[in-house]
Amino acid sequence: MTDYAVRITRLSYTYPDGTKALEGIDLDVARGERVAIVGPSGAGKSTLLLHLNGVLTGSGSVRILGENLQPSNLHQIRRQVGLLFQDPNDQLFCPTVFEDVAFGPLNLSVPAGEIPRRVEKALGDSGLDYALRSRSSHHLSLGERRRVSLAAVLAMEPAILGMDEPTSNLDPRNRRHLIEVISGLEATLIVATHDLELVLDVCARTILMDRGKIWADGETRSMLSEAGLMEKHGMEVPLSLKSGMRS
Amino acid sequence: MRHNFIDRYAALESPLHILEPRSKLLAFTALIVGVLSIPVDRGSLFFVYFFATAVLMGISQIPLPYIMGRSLVILPFIVLASLAVPWKGFYGIGILFVRAILCLILLILLTNTTRFVELMRGLRKLGCPQILVMNLGFLYRYLFVLTEEAMRMKQARDCRRVGRAPFGEELKILSSMLGTLLIRSFERAERMHSAMLSRGYSGHFPVLSPRRFSWHDLVFLSGITLFIVLTVLLR
Repeated sequence: MTDYAVRITRLSYTYPDGTKALEGIDLDVARGERVAIVGPSGAGKSTLLLHLNGVLTGSGSVRILGENLQPSNLHQIRRQVGLLFQDPNDQLFCPTVFEDVAFGPLNLSVPAGEIPRRVEKALGDSGLDYALRSRSSHHLSLGERRRVSLAAVLAMEPAILGMDEPTSNLDPRNRRHLIEVISGLEATLIVATHDLELVLDVCARTILMDRGKIWADGETRSMLSEAGLMEKHGMEVPLSLKSGMRS
Repeated sequence: MRHNFIDRYAALESPLHILEPRSKLLAFTALIVGVLSIPVDRGSLFFVYFFATAVLMGISQIPLPYIMGRSLVILPFIVLASLAVPWKGFYGIGILFVRAILCLILLILLTNTTRFVELMRGLRKLGCPQILVMNLGFLYRYLFVLTEEAMRMKQARDCRRVGRAPFGEELKILSSMLGTLLIRSFERAERMHSAMLSRGYSGHFPVLSPRRFSWHDLVFLSGITLFIVLTVLLR
């Protein structure tokens, strides 16, 4: 059982306004696996990610590293599952970069003496200079902000990392840099994205979601090459696969 | 976009900047209370306070034009205030003006010699409720995000507008823009809360504090105390 990082069974969730976001999701993710969740906007990708650490709770069960997610172990689970949000402005709410990155570890009662080391490591792992720590996040570029957000999550040393659109709105250089950083991570990865080239680079397995359900689950390259399946769910075969650029 | 309009010069390293935030908070509050409590018939005391403020301005190394420019924002309020209170002649208005401008300069000095984070830490250490300090921090952080959002909306409106609509129509557009901004802020607050929960937030906002109380603070606080006591005795 504990071989699974994430085990979701019959998970359904309806938003307070009546929108059915998830309908009977079953999903197992092994430890160390890198899984992409693709699908059109409104498919329920972000909603699913928010269930990984109990920010949202639907019906059905979510098991994280063998533990059933419930109110009593929420704190423990949030130590294990880091979430990277789409808009860094939602994620970076502290006056300085240092405080934002330190926020998680401090909540985990990491000793104050160890905090600077943690912050430095997390910033380094995200490809950022430690000198950035005293800046305010509103003075940073989007690429930097995205990476600070990642550092803020990495500082908690999560075993599982959920990311929502990590490369959206980034220029090519920042995008490439972020993909390299993500590729180097050791945590179990679950990435919700429209960036199929990112998926091809990073994730061996892909899940196709649409209207709150999982429609396909399998090896990335073969799934993304299925033109019929992709078009049926409002996606398209990535250019690099069409033109045979990836061999 | 450049926006660091609240604590623009707070990164300097003048003798005022290196003080512990608590001593600055206490000292500046005392000075402001001092200014506010000068009796109207003791006009000369204003000069004493003005002199003290000028000395602080000099020590702070903050450019004078900046301070003057910032303190002018008070003018419309003075005009409004002078309309609201019973007419006490030009002397009364003058006193009101001097009082307000002195307080404002002191506040500008405080916020520009102390980084906002430090100021929050100081407030927290002085026993200010955590929830209040936390919200102040969010205000500081999201003021910029909100400003940007508002400016983007303004741009979007300007792009689709030819000429000028009647005043009533303009007002309607403006109010719906404000409404949208409010709803967006509300949604953002929810997403932020999710982000906080995800990083282990459980009702307690952790604080770190690098600056320590030193002999500088002792000297500064003694100086200010002496000054306040003297001005009270002078009355």
